[in-house]
Amino acid sequence: MAGSNEINVNEAKKVVPLHTWILISNFKLAYNMLRRPDGTFNRELAEFLDRKVVANTVPVDGVYSFDVIIDRATGLLNRIYRCALPETEPGHHPAAGILDLENPLSTTEIVPVVIFFHGGSFTHSSANSAIYDTFCRRLTGLIKGVVVSVNYRRSPEHRYPCAYEDGWETLQWVHSRTWLLSGKDPKVHVYLAGDSSGGNIAHHVAFRAAEAGVEVLGNILLHPLFGGEERTESETKLDGKYFVRVQDRDWYWRAFLPEGEDRDHPACNIFGPRGVDLKGVKFPKSLVVVAGFDLVQDWQLKYVEGLENAGQEVKLLFLKKATIGFYFLPNNEHFYTLMDEIKSFVSS
Amino acid sequence: MEHLSYVKPLYAPFLCFTHHSFSLYSLSISISPHISTSIHNIFIFSYSYSPSTHPHFYMGPTPYNSSNSSSSACSSSTKPPPPQPPDQMDHLLAGAGYKVRSNDLTQVAERLEHLETVMVKSSPVDISDIGNDAVYYNPTDLASWVDSLLTELNPNVSGSGSGSGSGSGSGFVSGSGPAYVSDPVMNDMNNVYGEFGQQVVTPIEEDVSIRLVHVLMTCAEAVQRGDMSLAGLLIDDLQGLLGRVNSGCGIGKVGSFFVDALSRRVVNSPQNGVVQVDLSAYENEILYHHYYEACPYLKFAHFTANQAILEAFDGQDCVHVIDFNLMQGLQWPALIQALALRPGGPPLLRLTGIGPPSLDGRDSLREIGLKLAELARSVNVRFAFRGVAASRLDDVKPWMLQVSPKEAVAVNSIMQLHKLLGPGGPRGPPVDLVLDWIRDLNPRILMVVEQESNHNQPEFLDRFTESLYYYSTMFDSLDACTAQPEKTLAELYIQREICNVVCCEGSARVERHEPLVRWRERLTGAGFAPLHLGSNAFKQARMLLTLFSAEGYSVEENEGCLTLGWHSRPLIAASAWQAIPKPSVVTTGR
Repeated sequence: MAGSNEINVNEAKKVVPLHTWILISNFKLAYNMLRRPDGTFNRELAEFLDRKVVANTVPVDGVYSFDVIIDRATGLLNRIYRCALPETEPGHHPAAGILDLENPLSTTEIVPVVIFFHGGSFTHSSANSAIYDTFCRRLTGLIKGVVVSVNYRRSPEHRYPCAYEDGWETLQWVHSRTWLLSGKDPKVHVYLAGDSSGGNIAHHVAFRAAEAGVEVLGNILLHPLFGGEERTESETKLDGKYFVRVQDRDWYWRAFLPEGEDRDHPACNIFGPRGVDLKGVKFPKSLVVVAGFDLVQDWQLKYVEGLENAGQEVKLLFLKKATIGFYFLPNNEHFYTLMDEIKSFVSS
Repeated sequence: MEHLSYVKPLYAPFLCFTHHSFSLYSLSISISPHISTSIHNIFIFSYSYSPSTHPHFYMGPTPYNSSNSSSSACSSSTKPPPPQPPDQMDHLLAGAGYKVRSNDLTQVAERLEHLETVMVKSSPVDISDIGNDAVYYNPTDLASWVDSLLTELNPNVSGSGSGSGSGSGSGFVSGSGPAYVSDPVMNDMNNVYGEFGQQVVTPIEEDVSIRLVHVLMTCAEAVQRGDMSLAGLLIDDLQGLLGRVNSGCGIGKVGSFFVDALSRRVVNSPQNGVVQVDLSAYENEILYHHYYEACPYLKFAHFTANQAILEAFDGQDCVHVIDFNLMQGLQWPALIQALALRPGGPPLLRLTGIGPPSLDGRDSLREIGLKLAELARSVNVRFAFRGVAASRLDDVKPWMLQVSPKEAVAVNSIMQLHKLLGPGGPRGPPVDLVLDWIRDLNPRILMVVEQESNHNQPEFLDRFTESLYYYSTMFDSLDACTAQPEKTLAELYIQREICNVVCCEGSARVERHEPLVRWRERLTGAGFAPLHLGSNAFKQARMLLTLFSAEGYSVEENEGCLTLGWHSRPLIAASAWQAIPKPSVVTTGR
């Protein structure tokens, strides 16, 4: 680990606000307890600790939510967030919660639908985790559209490719909902988004979609989780400094990838020795957000470079002084920069 | 109201009865293979709660909408959030599910730093050991959570004194409930991914499902307005629609119960006639027993309650359990056996079972008492039973329970307290009276399990929609059960609840369910402090559920309470409380 622990704690404190430091540190330390050295995961305690929020069909700050099971065999559940109609009088929402599941979102305007994959290194959190419910609500209000948060199956109980399968299933389901259509020649205007492992899932679902001819208008990857066998400079330099250690990342890859596989597996190392060539693939445009204090950044930058080399449209948003999880709380400038970027990405 | 009460204690050593129906966990679990058949009805799991009296969703009485609302989050201003009053709960962390007072933030950060230092010094094995072995409570209270970790890792270091971990903060008031619409899957896509379920739904049936729910809502609205002739016409419509959907499952099944309830209400207006036929106690018991078997809600309630009671009775030699609804006493064999196996030996156990008076000549309270006594005898637990017959809980007088000052008392209320939320008599609301005498008993634990929904809202339409959501979810979970006649009779049990919520008014409406946030307010207001259910209870509840091969049940931790639900929708909530002794009176019991 780079530097003694005391220095690392002080480093992190210098660059994030107090609330963020408390929140992320709490996760970090709790998660230390959940990962067992033998590769198993203390799921009971993880579920006990995870703060969950129920969906609410009564709008709060203009957004309401409801859950839908889309596959009983796997238990795949999505949480849908939508914007409520404006209040006619204070406190009175017209047709509050009468879920319109018949009519399109709009017959004139384009309404973006973002399929969101929450983070947690493929292992932690759920669509109904408080941090992600809050984030998705903000996102919904920002884009004035619909967010579909996918409660994908997690490792180590469900390894690769379960999460990708769930994402693919959701994408198809979303495309088939009449009530998600918008625009004059109606179609579902779908974007894929995710943070950390969610970003990784978004990439793979987008690739599968491209191969199958299913349209995705754009990918939004918030410090996506990629990696490889090689140790990059950022991993070495930043190891343990800003909430994350390389050994933790290794644990999560071992838990997600098929047993016996290494981190050059194409799920992990997109443009590595076993990577797939994206040249000529009708891949969606990408917005890749990299946090300058994230030790995974070299892999994320390699990903951006790989997309560029393959002739794909990609915008890199490099937030030099951001740590992982900067977007959980609206208490820093990176949060607002990100929100602006996302907003213009889905409206262009 | 007149009641019959008899108080004949039964003494175990003098009884010789045999029976074989109780197992260790008082379960005869029907393992029903989970068959995913009815995917054509996708149920929507959600709450409908409006922050109508608490304007801000996330916490606290004062709205802080500057940096926590989505609208302001869209602005590109980098203004920091306005300073908050220091003794308020921090609203940023509240959005992440944590309750920390603003003026505790720095201290929590320091404790986290300290925790990290301690963790670095520990081995990874030790760290995951504390995950495996230690018991934790109420992770929402971040300060006490951090302290509990510190205590585990470093037992010599004392906590920061940040409190016992009883999370505080205001609750929400459940407001109006919106309508429920089922979203039938588009059967066209069944062709694309063929492994998706076995039932193909025609487009006509999908439209009918959506139409069914819309007409249900319109009818309920008409009922609320008092337009009974329109309601009657709509009910004819609904009968027609029901004929066109698959009434074996999904919206067809639950819809038919609600249509039935609405039609009863329209035909016999609650003020005039009886809308719900009273079943005999025997018939009630049959339905209850099958509901118990078909789904895990009651088992979870009993199991969680017993664990908490066991803990509360630790070290006590004379214990007295007061069961507010003895029914068939299914909860108690497990507790008796657990007490028998207790290190140090079992206490003297008294059980007082309250139940309705028998009108058919059977003395079911006594019968159950005898069976339990026999079981206790067989495991060498000194046991005494008393039955208290009362039609209503507020007819029970504390002296009937004969609580002795020497004994540790546990009051066990499984789905009973909500029945006291009806119109009050001259002495005040029944629930307040009962909570008051419970408090006077000075119980070591008051165990409360209730339906997690608001079916007690003043407006009929709100109750109707909320219960439609709630019971749809419950029926959906029941779909996984295939054992008969358990399933059908369980459905009838639930139907009676639905009927009561929809058809009855005034004192006849007893199914006045209220959610956990309301009960918390009520109980703290009545002089009770929370006893948190911990990670051990959570773990064991999850293990219990794995005995049901129907996946989809979920146990969640909610600020020291546990909920059991179907997928992401909690359906019942279990909480434990202890009485705060009344200030000026030396409580000796009555």
